[in-house]
Amino acid sequence: MIQRLLNNREFILFGVLCLLFVGFSITTEYFLNLDSLLSYSRYWVAPGMLAVPMTFIIATAGIDLSVGSIVAMCGIILGVLYRDYQWPIAAACAAAILSGTAAGAVNGGVSSWFRIPPLVVTLATMTLFRGVAFGLSKADAISNFPPGFKSLGNGDLFSFTLNGSPVFVPIALGALLLTMIIGGIILRYTWMGRYTLALGENPVAARYGAIPVRGLTLGIYTACGCVCGVASLFYTAVYGTARADAAMGLELEAIAAVVIGGTRISGGQASVVGTLLGLLIIGILKYGLDLSGVRSQYVVIIVGVLLIVTAVFNEWMARRAGESK
Amino acid sequence: MTRCFFSWGVASLAMALALVGCGGGSEDSGAATDNSTENASASETKTLKIGVMPKLIGIGYFNAAEMGVKEAAEALGVEVDYDGPVDADVTKQVQLIDTWITRQYDAICVAPNDPDAISDVLNKARKRGIKVITWDTDSHTDSRDFFVNQTTSEAIAHTMMDIMAEGAGAEAKFINITGTLTAANQNTWMELMETYRQTKYPGMTNLSETPKAPGEDQAMATQLTADSLKAYPDLQGIFGLTSVALPGAAEALRKANAADKVYLTGLATPNDMKEYVLDGTVKKFVLWNVPDLGYLTVHAAVAAVKGELTEGATEFNTGRITTSRIEGSEIILGDPLVFTKDNIENFDY
Repeated sequence: MIQRLLNNREFILFGVLCLLFVGFSITTEYFLNLDSLLSYSRYWVAPGMLAVPMTFIIATAGIDLSVGSIVAMCGIILGVLYRDYQWPIAAACAAAILSGTAAGAVNGGVSSWFRIPPLVVTLATMTLFRGVAFGLSKADAISNFPPGFKSLGNGDLFSFTLNGSPVFVPIALGALLLTMIIGGIILRYTWMGRYTLALGENPVAARYGAIPVRGLTLGIYTACGCVCGVASLFYTAVYGTARADAAMGLELEAIAAVVIGGTRISGGQASVVGTLLGLLIIGILKYGLDLSGVRSQYVVIIVGVLLIVTAVFNEWMARRAGESK
Repeated sequence: MTRCFFSWGVASLAMALALVGCGGGSEDSGAATDNSTENASASETKTLKIGVMPKLIGIGYFNAAEMGVKEAAEALGVEVDYDGPVDADVTKQVQLIDTWITRQYDAICVAPNDPDAISDVLNKARKRGIKVITWDTDSHTDSRDFFVNQTTSEAIAHTMMDIMAEGAGAEAKFINITGTLTAANQNTWMELMETYRQTKYPGMTNLSETPKAPGEDQAMATQLTADSLKAYPDLQGIFGLTSVALPGAAEALRKANAADKVYLTGLATPNDMKEYVLDGTVKKFVLWNVPDLGYLTVHAAVAAVKGELTEGATEFNTGRITTSRIEGSEIILGDPLVFTKDNIENFDY
C-alpha cells in the first residue's frame, strides 16, 4: 500500500505541498491568513492557465516558448481596440481570444506542416508576437479599463466566513480551477488525451496507428493560443494595464509548473493534477518566502534549486518505474 | 521497500528543514502585532515596520539609496525592509507589495516601474490604513499619500545651464546629447533649458535643434560626440543628458584632447564620472544625493504614519536634511547636487 502511494507522483507532490504548508505555518507569521493567500492566488492565474495546454504540448514532446508573447500581444490588441477604436469591452475581449487562437494556429500549422521542431518555431514566434505587441502599442501602456472588466482581476466569486473574518474567493481563481478541470478531464478521459500521450510516447507508432498527427498537433497548439487569449484577459485585469513588455518569462513559469508536476519533457506521460500541484508548490514557496522577508535574490535562487531537485526526483522516479516493469 | 520509504523521508525532512531555516529570520518582533488591525493605534507601542521598494535591487544607484534608508532606520528606531524585484518588473513589485500588506506594514514606500500597474495594489494598501509614499519616481497622485522627489526638473535644467554659462561663457554654442528621442525626462529638461536660455542667456546658441540620440549605448555616445567635434568646428559646449551619454561624451573629448576647447557637463552617477573629473575632462556635472533620497523617504514615511506630515505644510526638515521643502503632496529633497573634483571622492555610487 505504502509502496503504491510512493510510486504515485501526485501523492508525493501533495506531500511536498503539505510540508511546505506546515513549514510556513510554523515559521511565518501571517501565512495562515486564508483571505490574503486567496487574494494573492490571482497572480498565479495567468501562468496556471498557460500551464494546462502546456501540459498537453509537453506530453507530445513539444514545447511552446511563445505563450508569454501571445499573452502580451492579446492584451495589447484588447487595449488598442478598446481605447483607440472604442470597441465595446466584450467585443475587444473576444478579439483578443481570437487573435490568441490565430497565433496558436500559426505555431501549430508551421510546425506540423513543415515538420519544423516546435522549439524552433515558437522561439521565432516568441519574438514575432512580442514585436507585434510593441508595434501595435507603440511601446505605450494602455490602462483605464472599465470596472466590469477589471473585476475579472480583482472581483470576488463569493465569500464565506472563517473564524469570524470574511474570506473572499477571487473570480480569477475560479476561472483557473475551471481551466484545470476541463484540461484534466480531456487529458484523462477522452480520445484527445489518449492520442496526445500516444503521440508523445512514440510518434511513428502513432502515425501508423491512424492517429491524425498533423491535425492533432495543429489542434493542441491552436487550443494553447486560445487559452493564452483567455489568460491575457485575466492578466490585464489583475494588473489593470496592458503593456507590450508584459508577461515576460510567463512561458518559463508555466513550463516549470508542468515539469515539477511530473509531466515528462520527452513526452508520453502527463498529468494536469500534477501541473496544478506544481503550480501550487512554486506559488506557495514564493509567497511564503516573500512573507518571511527573504530578499528577492534568494527567493530566485531557492526556486531554482527546487526546480533542479524536482527534475532529479522525476528522473529517478521514472528510472525506478522502468526497472520494476 | 523500506529503503524507498527511507529516502523519501530524508528528502521530505531536508525540505522541511530548509524551510524552517528560511523562515527563521523573520520571527522576532512578531508577537505584538497578531491581533492589531489598526496600525495607527498600535504605533505607540510597537516598532514601526516600513517597506522600501526600489525599481530593482542590485544596481549601484539603488544600493546607494539603501545606505540612506538603513541610516534613517537606525536613527529613528524603525524596522525597515528594503527589497524589490531583481529585474525592474512591475508585476513582481505588485506581488511583493501585496505580501507587505498582509504583513501589516505601517508604511510602504515604492519607486514604481509603471504607475498604471501599481495603482490597484497601492489603493488596496491605503484602504487598509497603510501610508503609501512614492520615491524616486511617482505613481498616479491619487494612489499615494506623498511623493519624495529628488529635485525638480526646473532645478536640473537651470543648474545645468548655469554651469554651462559659467564654464563656456554666456555666448556659448552648444549641442545636446540625449538617450532616445522619446526619453520623457530628457525631453522635459531640454524644453526647460530652452525656455531658461531665452530669458537668461539669449546669447547662447543651440547648434542642433534635434539632439544627438545614442540610445543607451555608451560607445555610440562616444562616436556621436567625436563626429560632432568635426561637424561643428565652433562648438563650445556639450550637455550629456543621460548617465550613458555623459561618460560616453567625456571619453570622446579625452581621446580628441578637446577638453580645453569644448566644455562638457550633464547628468550621471559619480562612479561613472570619477575618472573624467579627476583628469580634468569634466569640471562639473549634476545629480542628486542618492543616499539622502533614501534617508528622506524613511523619515517621510515615519512622519506620515505618526501624523506629523500633513498636506498643506511647506517645510519638512528632518534629521540631517535641511534643504527639503513640500509642494502640495510632493516632498522635494532639494537642489541638484553639483559634483566637482573636490567632492566627488565622497560619493560611492
